[in-house]
Amino acid sequence: MEDEVILKGENIKKKIGDYEILKGVNIEVKKGEFLSIVGASGSGKSSLLYILGLLDKPTEGKVFLDGEEIDFNNEKRLSFLRNNKLGFIFQFHYLIPELSALENVMTPMLKKGIRFEEARERALEVLKRLGLGGKENRKPYQLSGGEQQRVAIARAIANEPAVILADEPTGNLDSLNTRRVMEIFKELNHEGKTIVMVTHEKELAEETDRIVEIKDGRVIKVS
Amino acid sequence: MKHNFFISWKFFLERKRQSFVATLGVIIGTAAFIVMSSMVNGFQKFFLKEALNINGHVKIMVEPTTDKTEILRKYYEKGVFKVLGYKPKEEKDNIRNYREIVRRYEKDKNVVGVAPHLVSNGVIIYGVKEKAATLVGIFPDKEERTLSLSEYLVHKRLEEMKRDRSSVILGIKLAHELGIYEVGKKITFVAPSGEVYRLKVIDFLNTGITEIDKSRVYLHIKKLQDILDRAGEVNEIVIKLKDYNLSEYYAEKLSAETGYKAESWQESFKNFLSIFKIQKIITSSVIFAILTVSGFGIFNIIMMTVLEKKRDIAILKAMGYEPFDLILIFTLQGLIIGVLGGIAGNVAGFFILEWLETIKIEVEGIIRAQGFILDRSVSYHLYGFIFAVLTSFLASFYPAYRASKFHPVEVFRSGG
Repeated sequence: MEDEVILKGENIKKKIGDYEILKGVNIEVKKGEFLSIVGASGSGKSSLLYILGLLDKPTEGKVFLDGEEIDFNNEKRLSFLRNNKLGFIFQFHYLIPELSALENVMTPMLKKGIRFEEARERALEVLKRLGLGGKENRKPYQLSGGEQQRVAIARAIANEPAVILADEPTGNLDSLNTRRVMEIFKELNHEGKTIVMVTHEKELAEETDRIVEIKDGRVIKVS
Repeated sequence: MKHNFFISWKFFLERKRQSFVATLGVIIGTAAFIVMSSMVNGFQKFFLKEALNINGHVKIMVEPTTDKTEILRKYYEKGVFKVLGYKPKEEKDNIRNYREIVRRYEKDKNVVGVAPHLVSNGVIIYGVKEKAATLVGIFPDKEERTLSLSEYLVHKRLEEMKRDRSSVILGIKLAHELGIYEVGKKITFVAPSGEVYRLKVIDFLNTGITEIDKSRVYLHIKKLQDILDRAGEVNEIVIKLKDYNLSEYYAEKLSAETGYKAESWQESFKNFLSIFKIQKIITSSVIFAILTVSGFGIFNIIMMTVLEKKRDIAILKAMGYEPFDLILIFTLQGLIIGVLGGIAGNVAGFFILEWLETIKIEVEGIIRAQGFILDRSVSYHLYGFIFAVLTSFLASFYPAYRASKFHPVEVFRSGG
C-alpha cells in the first residue's frame, strides 16, 4: 500500500520548436508522499509538472494517473481528470478577480456537479481551515499576497484531489508566508495527501520526503 | 450549465461599465427597431386601409385601346412611305352590361358589395376659383353598402343625395382650396355641352389621403349621366371583397368573365406600393445598421474580456473546465446582455411609442393626420427581442470560441 504509485511518467520527451526541453524523463510519485522537483530555471521542471498535470501534451512518452494510461487527445477525459484527481497551485494565485474568495474555491466544485449550497459549505470549511475564516466574501484584491495564495490552495484541494501539483508555490511570497504555505503542505501530507512541488529553492526541497533533481531535461539525481 | 451561468453572471455584474455600455447598445437597437417598425408600418397600413376602404379592392373598367400598327398604313414598293397618324379606336367608355355584372357578383360569397360608377373629369367653379376634379357618379345605397362612404363624411349626409339629385359631396381639401368651409354653398359645373349646372354642397369627404381629398367629387350617378348626356352609362365598377388578399385572383377572374379590364388594388396602387417597398428597405437597412453596431459593441466587449481573461481561462481549464464550458461562459455573457438589453429596449420602445402618441402635429403629405400614425403590434416587440438576443449570441460566439482555444500552459509558462 505504501509503495503504490499514483502518478508516473515514462520516458517523457517534450520538444518546443527545435529545442528539446525534456529528454526522456522517468518519474514515479507514490501515494501519500511529498515529492519535490528541483532544478535551475530552464531545466524543464515546470514543463514536466505541466505534463504530469495533464495540462500539456508530451512529444513522446506515457503518463499514468491512478493506474490509467492517459490519452492526451481525449480533451474531455483530461478535463475530467484535472477536475476530479488533480489540484493545481502556481507561483501566481490566478484567482478570478470578479469572484469572492469563497466563489473562487467553489468553482472547481461546481464544475464537478456539486450542488451550490453544498459547495458553499465545503468551501467555507476549507477556507476556515486555512485560516481565512471571515474573509470569504472578500475579492482577491482585498486580500494580502499570503492570503491570496492560501485561497488558491483552498481551491486546489476543494475537490479532494489524488495529487496536488504546486509550481513554485512560494515563489512570490515573503519568508513568513512561505513558512505558512509549507506548514499547510506538510499538514495536508500528514493527512495522506500526495503533493508534487516544483521549486528552485533547495532548502524547501530538503523538507520534503523525496527530491527529484532535474538538469537540462534529464533526471540527474533522486534522493 | 449552471456553474457556467454563475461565472458569466459574475463577469457581467462585476464588469459594470463595460456591461452597461454593451447593454445600452442593445437597448438602443431594440427600441429603435420597435419604434421605426411601428411608425413605418403604421403609416403604410393606415394608407392602405383607408385607400382600399374608399377605392375598393377590384375595379372593372373600359380599357382605352389604340391600334399602333396603324402608324404605318401604306407602303409602296418604290420606296415611298405614306405615314398616317393613329388614333384611339372608337370604343365607347361604357360598360354595357353593368347591371348583369352587378347582379352576378353581388351574390358571390367573397364579395362585400359592388358599386357602379360613372367617372369623369371636369372643372368645378366657386366664385372666381376653379379647380380640376374627378367627378364620380354614385348610387348612394350601393356606395354605402360597398365602401361605407359615410364613415368618411364630415356631416354624414349621404341620405340627402337620394332626395336632392343636385347635391354634391366635395373632397375636403378641394373644398378648402375653393374657399368652401361650410355646407350649403353652391358650386358651378360646366358640362362639355356648355350647359351650366349649379350644385349644392351637402357634405365633405375626409379620408386623410391627400390625393383623394383634393380631387374627388361625389354626386348622384343619374345627375352626372344627365350632365354628361350619357344616360344609363357606367364606366367603372368597384368591388369590395371580404379578404383583400383575394383581389389579384378576383381581378383575373373578373377580366376573364366580363371581358373588361379588371384591376386589383395592387395594380392600382403600384406606385405607392413600390414607394412603400423602398421605404421598408431603407428602414430595414437603418435597423440592420443599428443592430450591427450594437453587435460590434458586444463583440468588442466580449473579445476584450476574453483577451483580458487569458489567465482566468487558463486556470479554469486547469480546474477541469472543458472548451465547451468556456464557450458557454462567454456566449452566456453575451446572451445576458442580449436578454437584458432586449427587455429594457422593449420597455423603452413601449414608452417612446406612448409618448409619440400624445404628440399632436399636423402631418400633411401623402396622408393627413394629427400626429404619428403608429402600428402598435406586439409582433414588433417580439421581433425586437428576438433580434437583440440573436445579435448578441452571434456577436459573442467568436470571442467565446477563441477563449475555448487558449492553451493554458502558454499563460502559466509566461507567468502572465
